[in-house]
Amino acid sequence: MEKSVNNAITIDSVSMEYQTAGGTKRVLHDVSYQVSEGHFVSIVGPSGVGKTTLLRLLTGLATPTNGSIAVRGQELHGPPQGMAVVLQDYTRSLMPWLTVAKNIALPLKRSGLSKSEVAERVMSSLEEVGLSGSGRSYPWQLSGGMQQRVSIARAIASRPSILVMDEPFASVDAQTRFDLEDLVLKVRADFDITTLMVTHDIDEAVYLSDEIVVLRGSPAEVREVVSINIPFPRSQVASRNDPQFAHLRTRVYALVRGLE
Amino acid sequence: MRRAWRWVIAIAVAGWLPVFFIAWWWHASANSKNPYFPPLSKIWTEFKANWIFTLVPVHVVPSLINLFVGFAIAIVLGIGAGTLLGASRTGARYTEPLIDFIRSIPPVALVPIFILLLGLDAKMRIASIAFSATFPILLATIEGVRHTNPVLLETAQTFRLTNQQILWRVRVPYAKPTIFAGLQVGLQIAFVVTIASEYLGSGFGLGAFTLNATDSFLIVDAWTGVILLGVLGYALSLVFDAVERVSLRWYYGQKKLA
Repeated sequence: MEKSVNNAITIDSVSMEYQTAGGTKRVLHDVSYQVSEGHFVSIVGPSGVGKTTLLRLLTGLATPTNGSIAVRGQELHGPPQGMAVVLQDYTRSLMPWLTVAKNIALPLKRSGLSKSEVAERVMSSLEEVGLSGSGRSYPWQLSGGMQQRVSIARAIASRPSILVMDEPFASVDAQTRFDLEDLVLKVRADFDITTLMVTHDIDEAVYLSDEIVVLRGSPAEVREVVSINIPFPRSQVASRNDPQFAHLRTRVYALVRGLE
Repeated sequence: MRRAWRWVIAIAVAGWLPVFFIAWWWHASANSKNPYFPPLSKIWTEFKANWIFTLVPVHVVPSLINLFVGFAIAIVLGIGAGTLLGASRTGARYTEPLIDFIRSIPPVALVPIFILLLGLDAKMRIASIAFSATFPILLATIEGVRHTNPVLLETAQTFRLTNQQILWRVRVPYAKPTIFAGLQVGLQIAFVVTIASEYLGSGFGLGAFTLNATDSFLIVDAWTGVILLGVLGYALSLVFDAVERVSLRWYYGQKKLA
């Protein structure tokens, strides 16, 4: 426990295999990485490389074939306490029979909070994502971008120390995407959350992250870990015009494409 | 104003055929000498005498009480057992062949067995109704609870909800539209069995009334019974649709936007 006290997540020699009709398929091979407390880490790689598989292992929704994963020093057995997950398919991860407010309250069922505390949390979470007036709507009455804001509000309602997101902005338009990226940066700053994100968008990864993990190969291995030293707070205009930005996106692109 | 017009048009679209049909029947049967097809005017006079509301307490109330009690039992059994079996893969695997076998028996065919077991009173009728209406509800509930969207299940797991909480807060609500489809079939079967169970050994109820009327060659009375059954069946399905619309507001709202 002592050695990993500054690591939110420790991935130790993790391999993952699936049994398929054609035999054993190895998806991840000997992946080791440590997510530092408070960092924003993006996992990138060519499509189909196993990014989502790695994310499922990190959330405890799946168990690695070999190796181990620890969250704050505790080995994973199922989804850990203090971690919130935003899955890719937001339209299907919100409960359509519950109002927005009740969706956000759902993860608090086991928190031991009183009714008024829960209501308070729901209110403040909605406020944080800019949806104060939408608590009584149903998710399907909202636009895609607003639904994704709801799932972010739901994720922060339990005041997690770690936030894990799987391609959270994959299916919204470009303008909404920029807004949501800035929302995630704000949430992370406001609550001091360690954040882990899978994305296929290299610009987005550079814009948001402290560190980018590049997965490559079949089975996938950690090809490179790239530090992003663009200063915080970041802004869509200034940060993307930083000379470092162009340099880093080119480098990450080359790594993902196997050109380096 | 435009809303009111839309209502008028909707009623006209839905109503013109029934109105036309009744007018035609009235006119075509006016001079009928065929004892099996008496004039509608005669049926209508008799209908008013019988069902507004002289015989309602004797023949309608008992049928409806049996129907509602039987259907209520079926709802509790079907949804209760269906939820448990749908949540447990092994449970469903062990019980499914038997459930499939029993529900394949035409519901009315079991009425004589229930008479043997329970005699000829309301207890037998309620048991027959409950038994036959349970199966469509049970099967729909198993189906709905078993096939919860995996994304929702995984989402619930990341909330660290207990299995109990996942069952009642995710799987059962998710299954609600499927369960309602089962309830609709269950209600139709319950109505059929309500009437059929009164064909044997009963002096009360709409089934008994209609059968006795034909046996006694009171053809006009029999027609009034058949028409009332149609009206009741239609009213039941209207009430059911209304309840469903309210309970599944989210489901229909979502579908309308999709």
